[in-house]
Amino acid sequence: MKKLFSLFAVCLILLLSVNTVFAGEDTQEKYSLWFGSHYTEFSDYTKQVGKYDLGDDEFMPEFKVNYISKSSNGMFSLDGHYYDDHNVYGKVRTTVGNTFKANFKYRSMILQEGQDLLTVMEAREYLPSSGNAGGKMLTHEILDPNADYNTHRQEISSNIEAKLSNKYNMRLVVAHRSILKNGTEQKIASTHCFSCHMTSMTAQVDQTQHQFEAGIDASNNQFDLGYRFGYRVFENHATNATVNYEDAKHPVHGGAGGEFGPRMIYEDTTVEFSRYPKTEKMSHRLRLKKELGNGTVSGSAGYSKTENKYTDLSNKAYTGHLGYAFRMNDNTRMNIKVAVQKLQSDDPFIDLPTYREGATDGNTYDFDYTRYSSLDRMVSKFDAEMIKRLTPKVTLSLAAGYHMNNRDDYPVYDDGLNTKKMYGQLKVRHRKGLRYNSTLKYRYEKITDQYISGRGLFEESGHGVLEPLVDTSKWVFYFQREDLRYQDITSLPTQVHKFEWRSTYVPNNQISINMGLNAKFDKNNDLDSLEVEHTSYQPNLFISYNPNLDWTFNTGFTYTYDKSSLPVTVALFDG
Amino acid sequence: MADYENKASNMYFSTNFKATEKLRVFSTVTYYTAEGSLQEVLMPDVEDRLDGDLEDQDFDMEKIPSYSDLDYEFLSFKLGFTYKLTDAVTWSADGDYVDLKDNQGYVYGIETGSYFMVRSGFKVDF
Repeated sequence: MKKLFSLFAVCLILLLSVNTVFAGEDTQEKYSLWFGSHYTEFSDYTKQVGKYDLGDDEFMPEFKVNYISKSSNGMFSLDGHYYDDHNVYGKVRTTVGNTFKANFKYRSMILQEGQDLLTVMEAREYLPSSGNAGGKMLTHEILDPNADYNTHRQEISSNIEAKLSNKYNMRLVVAHRSILKNGTEQKIASTHCFSCHMTSMTAQVDQTQHQFEAGIDASNNQFDLGYRFGYRVFENHATNATVNYEDAKHPVHGGAGGEFGPRMIYEDTTVEFSRYPKTEKMSHRLRLKKELGNGTVSGSAGYSKTENKYTDLSNKAYTGHLGYAFRMNDNTRMNIKVAVQKLQSDDPFIDLPTYREGATDGNTYDFDYTRYSSLDRMVSKFDAEMIKRLTPKVTLSLAAGYHMNNRDDYPVYDDGLNTKKMYGQLKVRHRKGLRYNSTLKYRYEKITDQYISGRGLFEESGHGVLEPLVDTSKWVFYFQREDLRYQDITSLPTQVHKFEWRSTYVPNNQISINMGLNAKFDKNNDLDSLEVEHTSYQPNLFISYNPNLDWTFNTGFTYTYDKSSLPVTVALFDG
Repeated sequence: MADYENKASNMYFSTNFKATEKLRVFSTVTYYTAEGSLQEVLMPDVEDRLDGDLEDQDFDMEKIPSYSDLDYEFLSFKLGFTYKLTDAVTWSADGDYVDLKDNQGYVYGIETGSYFMVRSGFKVDF
């Protein structure tokens, strides 16, 4: 925290220096200071009502400061608010002519988080034949009861723009952002086989994220050109949480360790879990905008690489777009855009222990595989929109598009899904002076080959289908039942209807009425025995009434209704 | 298959009143309700997929929907004033009261709680 404050103080001094140097003789200054105190009191459960305020039942000091200095040559302003040690805000801005512009911002806040009590993580096998409870069970244990999870988030950001040359209006643009998170959070680990057991514990949080961006912009009456380089790093410096995986035994009588142990990846050991990645991202982006004919053509190309330093796995992204916006006649405009994006992830080889290694009956299995990421994809988009002024009061917009999302290796390597989406959209806007305006929009989307889970939801009967791994054995293992799965599953739609309505009515200078409705209905009929549907609508009404210069009234109402019809998966014992 | 329904209403009313040249009073009331619930779980008919001596097991799903019931009421009330003591000095005071009623309790248990804050101070203009 001291480092960030020091950085903020240095930025403040720098900007004050710049402002002092460029201050004109006609400088006007205005500043105010607010000082006071606040008292907070909580009752019952504090984590939800006090989500962003730790509170303290004693009077705490609080300060605010505002300063602005203006001259014909520029401006300098400072705003700050100290609520408590965890809630501080500061912003400094300066502008010097049209040659230099900068702002620095610091913000800190607290986030309180509740503790998942794991109460629904408890079940036990029931044996219908005897009417008794069986030995297989799922239990949970809170290792840190009454834990007080909270994280303190600090963010400092800066944006600087400086003119390098009047020729082509060349400008240097530099931006930076750091986010620091410190505190504690809940981690939940699950052990398996011998003890189907969920354990909850406290883990420390000490995260840093730094982002840096630099680039050059140039423009004249004919073109606008820019380049940006971006760099981002993220790391959690806290010690990772650990969990002890007990030695694997039969869940009922605790024996047969030699049979169950070699089926596990971890057993009788303590390992780190829920570890954050250490990531580094670098990006380059080039953009161009140019007048062409009676329109403007724009384009961009980008490349980025994100790497997890712990695993040496990386993801590359290539992006590009080309657009042309032009006037067809005095009343009609057209926007056309083509965009592509290619995501490519590393394909690591996953080396796993041999299943039932050392077994003398021959029933061993090698689960090693190459992981092809579902992130890998080629996205292509074509969008077009025509906007036409029908009358001085009515504007019509028609839009259509075709998007393709080709996942090369999902669900099967080199035999992926190519999801295609077509949409059409109609938008009408009516405006009657400043007194009344209204907008209606309808959009329809049709999607084919929607993204589905690579594995089916249900299992077929295994009788007469599954074979032992070797001829000399009669055993069929649970993992073989993966071959029996059927039923595509997804919560994503194949048809979408969207409707929006907005109206504003201002009968006189005292009253303003805004009302609207958002509605959406979607469904997926392409699944065998399942039907996925979502319905949502949200009407709203806002009224502002100012009867005279002394009174102001504002009121509003929003209602939200969502309904989803979705598959529910119920976990059962014994496979 | 099951339906999940979510209903939420949000209402607010705020006013700002300049009582005298020196005194300004402001207040805001916000009331919010949210309900979420899973409806009856209907398992698909798998009779045509039975094989050999396997039988369709009719599990009791009656209590499963209650796991996901959510029912919140939220009330927030804010009242305050500013009073100009001199051209340069203004005295202000305000208070917040927030009350959350959790009628179901779920992942974090019953989250019912309230929050009360009062604040007062002086603003000096230079």
